[in-house]
Amino acid sequence: MNFSHKLLTGTMLALLFAFPALAEKPLLTIYTYDSFTSDWGPGPKVKQAFEKQCNCTLELVGLEDGVSLLNRLKLEGKNTRADIVLGIDTNLTAEARETGLFEAHTLSIPESSLPQSWTDQIFVPYDFGYFAFVYNRELLKTPPSSLKDLVENPDGPSILIQDPRTSTPGLGLLLWVKKVYGENSDKAWNKLSERIVTVSKGWSEAYGLFLKGEADMVLSYTTSPAYHIIAEKDERFAAARFTEGHYQQIEVAGLLKSSNHKELSKQFLQFMLSQDFQNIIPQTNWMYPAFMESASLPDGFSNLIDPSPSLLFEDSIIASKRKSWVNEWLEAMTR
Amino acid sequence: MMRRQPVSAYWVLSIIGLAVLTPMAGLLAVGRLPGFEPGDLQFWSSSYIRRVLLFSFWQAFLSTLISLTLALLVARSIAKRGDFPLRNLLLRLFGLPLVVPSIVAVMGIISVYGSAGWFPVGRSLYGLNGILIAHVFFNLPLAVRLLLPVWQAIPEHYDQLAEQLRFTAWQRWIHIEWPTLRENIPGVALLVFMLCLTSFAVVLTLGGGPRSSTLEVAIYQSLRFDFDPTQAVVLALLQLMLCLLIAVIGLSLQKLPEVEISISVNSQAGAASNRLYHNSVILVTAAFIGMPLLAMIFDALRGPVIDVLSDNKLWLAATYTLLIGFAAAFCSVLAGWLLLRTSSVLANHGKIRQAKWLELVGSVVYVVPPLILGTGYFVLLSQHVVIADWVFPIVILINSMMGLPFVIKVLSPVMRKNQMRYDNLCNSLALHGWNKWRRVDWPLLRKPLGLAAALVSALAMGDLGVIALFGSADTTTLPLMLYQQLGAYRIPQAAVTALFLLLLCLLVFWSLERGLGGRKDVTH
Repeated sequence: MNFSHKLLTGTMLALLFAFPALAEKPLLTIYTYDSFTSDWGPGPKVKQAFEKQCNCTLELVGLEDGVSLLNRLKLEGKNTRADIVLGIDTNLTAEARETGLFEAHTLSIPESSLPQSWTDQIFVPYDFGYFAFVYNRELLKTPPSSLKDLVENPDGPSILIQDPRTSTPGLGLLLWVKKVYGENSDKAWNKLSERIVTVSKGWSEAYGLFLKGEADMVLSYTTSPAYHIIAEKDERFAAARFTEGHYQQIEVAGLLKSSNHKELSKQFLQFMLSQDFQNIIPQTNWMYPAFMESASLPDGFSNLIDPSPSLLFEDSIIASKRKSWVNEWLEAMTR
Repeated sequence: MMRRQPVSAYWVLSIIGLAVLTPMAGLLAVGRLPGFEPGDLQFWSSSYIRRVLLFSFWQAFLSTLISLTLALLVARSIAKRGDFPLRNLLLRLFGLPLVVPSIVAVMGIISVYGSAGWFPVGRSLYGLNGILIAHVFFNLPLAVRLLLPVWQAIPEHYDQLAEQLRFTAWQRWIHIEWPTLRENIPGVALLVFMLCLTSFAVVLTLGGGPRSSTLEVAIYQSLRFDFDPTQAVVLALLQLMLCLLIAVIGLSLQKLPEVEISISVNSQAGAASNRLYHNSVILVTAAFIGMPLLAMIFDALRGPVIDVLSDNKLWLAATYTLLIGFAAAFCSVLAGWLLLRTSSVLANHGKIRQAKWLELVGSVVYVVPPLILGTGYFVLLSQHVVIADWVFPIVILINSMMGLPFVIKVLSPVMRKNQMRYDNLCNSLALHGWNKWRRVDWPLLRKPLGLAAALVSALAMGDLGVIALFGSADTTTLPLMLYQQLGAYRIPQAAVTALFLLLLCLLVFWSLERGLGGRKDVTH
């Protein structure tokens, strides 16, 4: 028997043993965004913790972002491999519901740490955050105290934002301005545009430019400084508290009607509400866990600004108005 | 004796046509399903699309004009200066901007020209200035690489003649250099134009706001946020048609040589007179290209180098990246070679127009956004196969198509010349098939083949778009890893990954150019 024969037999034996072992365990497939599945995201820890208790294999498929998740679902329809979709935010839930692909979760949702009560029958929240302008305390001594202050002070700080056509925070700011200015949003944008250094495709570009010192403030999250405090021991960064409140983003998961593992899927959603899952969130996703008392949050989170009152549109309003609001933004910014 | 024309090009074109049109058709079919309301026609008459169209073409035109004008000066100086220290390294560095993911290049450019940079330009950086700086950074080196062989192909006795006639530099340019270049400039210009036209993240980020949106942004927006496949495909077709139109106009200025007499090649053109001038041009260019790269190196060295390099995932990602790069280079070069085999025979038989069309169609597929192709393939395949198993073939296919214009540009002048010079000779010597390839084609083609393969692999290695689209748990490439690090606040780590990607690419460039291209210039 020569070497290649040995190799072949060896491989076949290995496969013989490997396959039944795989087949025994059910496979639960979750579509999510890739910063969730990356090494630095919650994915690897979530997988490990859930597999310990489910006797199953958890497969996390990472797509570009929440928007890609929804598009993928629309394309696949009932033929999707996914059992659960995790990572759609409140800007997209109405559209996601409209696809008719999701099933009611039927869980009894415990008291959440969200500022509002959660009544959605289909989607289950797992974390949330607030948009905010982040700045370097050493370089900007007196940050604006409100959105109006930021918009209307012609000598105000320069800012970096993201494009609402391509990025979630970008859309968040658009909605934030809409909440505060309503009908007069286009005038506000027109005023603000003078001090917008640039409008980037995604969060990474804008945040990178900010760290390079290209502007006084960058559109990000109230929790961004926690990363610098905890991971880099760097206390220089802070989010500016705006008195009108901060626009909120809630990230949710939903169970698909087409799933063949409904029980297992519900077990995962239940797990998502548990402290095992919730504890992973703050220092991997850098968001607020949806089910955790603020006292249990890690240290870097305790000194963050109080974003209240939280601002949020009904998801159905976003679904119906987004296009025209984005067009209004474009008009105002290119005038 | 007139030999049968090789028909391979028509096969290649049919495959490319299928590979481009079927995914679009697939998307259009999806657009007709209930739940995917086709875009409002209002979109068309909207000033938005008109403005976006105008801006896309205007910035691409300006970027091409500046990149090419500068590239002509630089390539001329490099050619005239002959050999100088670090010449090869410099030329290899010139292949790098192609691989740098756009976000890394933007950061490099900001490190140099940003408000806290080495040469702060101020707020005026954002806008057309920033876009042009970035596009010249990406395309000047590419154009130099593509134009340099043209100077080297100017026969030595022309120079001697010019010497005897006491030509001024201007007369030399008009009578000797320009006629040779005229054949090549439109092709290079088209390639650079397509690269700038489809530029997206760079234009948006350095453009300073939505005033600087390209059509590519609108396509991305309609396929992602609005999820309107019909509109996305229509916009992509619009981009393709307009680009084709411009290409036809541009290439009608191109003059292919119909007779070729010279056999000698210019080995050493270095007229010592303008040394100082040529040296300064080369130095300034090296600084312009080198500074953002240097800034990336500094950023990386400040980062956690050991941590990043000791991560197994990095090496796994590097393996996937290399695999994609080499496979795409192989497919692309093979397809390009087959296509050009036909077109050069056609050109040699006086069917210049047909030859041009073949090459043109092979090139303009570049402007079809990979996002459209990728989503289209997904639509076509996902019902029938597990898409996760098909990520690599699809990524390689799309990248090979995107690399095709580079292959065509690099190989076409050489293959046409070879065809013209040696085909009759080979026929009369009854040298065919493998023997002809081994004795005639390979020695003459290996150098351009090496460059073409190096360019395509660099392009494919730096690609993020397609792989990010499919999403898969275990296939991460270096650009994808880089974006994940950036998205998770790991900016210092990302800087290290970027440098690693850059070095890997330099290595690939070196090995392909050396390995395929050989050490020395082959004289005809």
